[in-house]
Amino acid sequence: MIGGPVIQTRSLTKSYGRLNAVRDLDLFVGANRITAFLGRNGAGKSTTIKLLLGMIYPTGGEATVLGARVAESKESREMRRRVAYVAENKPLYPYMTPAQMIRFVSSFYPDWRSDAAERLMKEYELPADRKVKSLSKGMRTKLALLLAFARRPDLLILDEPSEGLDPVGIEQLLQTLVAQSAEGISVFFSSHQITEVERIADHVCILDKGRLLVDASLDDLRQSYRRIDLVFRSAPVEHEFRMTGVERIETSGHQMRVLASRNAEMVVERAHALNAVSVETSPVGLRDIFLETVRDN
Amino acid sequence: MFLKLNSNAGQPIYLQLMEQIRHAAETGALKDGEQLPSVRNLAEELVVSPNTVVKAYSELEHEGLIELRHGSGAFATLRRRTRFLTDHVQAARRRIRDLIERLREDGLLDEEIRRAFEAELLHAAETAAKR
Amino acid sequence: MLWYKAWLETRARFLVSVCAISIISAFFVHHAERVISPEPKRETYFLLFFVHHYLVGLWILSAVLLGMGGLIRERAIGTSSFTLTLPVSRARVAGVQIAVGIFQAILLAVLPWSVILFTTDLIGRAFPVSQVAFYVLLLISGGLVYFALAVLISSLIEGEYTAPAVAYGLVVLSGITFSSVDSLRPYADLWRFMGGDNHFNHATYLLSGPFPRFGALAALSVAALMLLASVAVIQRREF
Repeated sequence: MIGGPVIQTRSLTKSYGRLNAVRDLDLFVGANRITAFLGRNGAGKSTTIKLLLGMIYPTGGEATVLGARVAESKESREMRRRVAYVAENKPLYPYMTPAQMIRFVSSFYPDWRSDAAERLMKEYELPADRKVKSLSKGMRTKLALLLAFARRPDLLILDEPSEGLDPVGIEQLLQTLVAQSAEGISVFFSSHQITEVERIADHVCILDKGRLLVDASLDDLRQSYRRIDLVFRSAPVEHEFRMTGVERIETSGHQMRVLASRNAEMVVERAHALNAVSVETSPVGLRDIFLETVRDN
Repeated sequence: MFLKLNSNAGQPIYLQLMEQIRHAAETGALKDGEQLPSVRNLAEELVVSPNTVVKAYSELEHEGLIELRHGSGAFATLRRRTRFLTDHVQAARRRIRDLIERLREDGLLDEEIRRAFEAELLHAAETAAKR
Repeated sequence: MLWYKAWLETRARFLVSVCAISIISAFFVHHAERVISPEPKRETYFLLFFVHHYLVGLWILSAVLLGMGGLIRERAIGTSSFTLTLPVSRARVAGVQIAVGIFQAILLAVLPWSVILFTTDLIGRAFPVSQVAFYVLLLISGGLVYFALAVLISSLIEGEYTAPAVAYGLVVLSGITFSSVDSLRPYADLWRFMGGDNHFNHATYLLSGPFPRFGALAALSVAALMLLASVAVIQRREF
């Protein structure tokens, strides 16, 4: 259990020539939470993670992870001792066996738990003495995850962890993430699997074209986003409904559909004031929130 | 307890969890003094964030439905509150039954009635949350 | 455990090189012995001088191979995001890889010569150990320049085949340069240095004279500089 944010960035920027991979990013990832990092391909998620872990260097701004400045190599190195990271491609040394990989990794991290490693080896059914290059993709994914889960870091960073896993594997993964969180480990993961994110995330950050568009608790999003379907006696006037919080309005004949990120009650009130024949409010799932957010950008 | 949660609904999961635990208490599936699963176990079983379970449990403790004993876990403390709720729920159901009959007489279909209830409940939940 | 990893990474390359060179050298010595008349040791000594030159060539080829790899190669095969996020500095990772490579390069000179020594002993033409030491030290002190060059190239150039191609290209280029630019001989000519040409005594067919400490130091310094440069490159690189 630690105080303060596990990840914090201030105007973090990374440019490649004229291309801004990450733009003025102000990220605040709280401790003891499960935070999901969503974005399209190329939105800058992996770039952000690489910046945080010292694989690439920022062109502007600053960042800290577990209170350590990423720009200071010594601080960053000490911080990495308390962070477990699994890259998107689930890297492993092809010439080592799972047993060798475990011995290798455990030598670097004092928080290594051999009992957990043993349990996971059995659970994932991994052969201890077969070279990684001869393992199937699913087994390699599980081994890469095992090397992170058999530890007790302060922060767990995962880039697309469910890629390469079948549905059973994904379920196991989610259960493990939840178990890790229950032990006080802060979890920060990027994913395209919005259904999975919806089940376990406490907080959601949506990145698009290098910018942070949404940074909110999932519960807040669930309670504020509403889709309101209205029917009027005559063709409705759209600009009556252009109020704060309204993201999109679609009209078709006498029908109108309003998507609001907040203040849905105001929309309902206005609809009643304009004598709407039918007013129906329904919730908006995370997938639609995501699509709507990146659509407008 | 068998619980089912909908992560797609407009309602935060912790609220759904609270409702279902209350429902379990009302119907007797959860008995007075019975121990609820630990935060970790319930989170793992339902595959939800432990923070969700923590929130639900702490709100329920606030309402007096459960008691969080330091070191031991969460225990149901139903007794008076259950009887109180059960009576109220039974009375409410009678009123709803009458209302539904009248709406049907007015010519509304069951599906229309259900949608109207859902819309009003969602609206009510929002106004309540705002407060 | 970085040492263990560096060893595992290069084990195959190293073992193949060491066996190949040792077998070729021993075979050469043993076989060619038959061609030489059962005469004075002198001819055997000349044979060894001759074999050493081939050894130098093979050694350089292997040393360049040993110098390949490193973090840039890891990036190509996708494991750099793993190695770089370990709680160790890049300098340490690169340093260990270099150290293992140097150790292997040294063994690559010592082992074949030991085999040659053993073979000459076997055929009854024992070769003074001090001479072996002379040859080995010349080979290593001059040769590490090529190893360092390979390491530097592999830190600058990506591509599993491009890097060795450039490195070998430079080796060939250096050979051509040394043999065509007169002013470079005999002391700045690395190949002559490694081959022992500067010390070959035409009377005894042995290497004589004092060991060229200054030359060795100069070569080793050049090697050290290139290795430091490669570490600096790795530290600044983006992965």
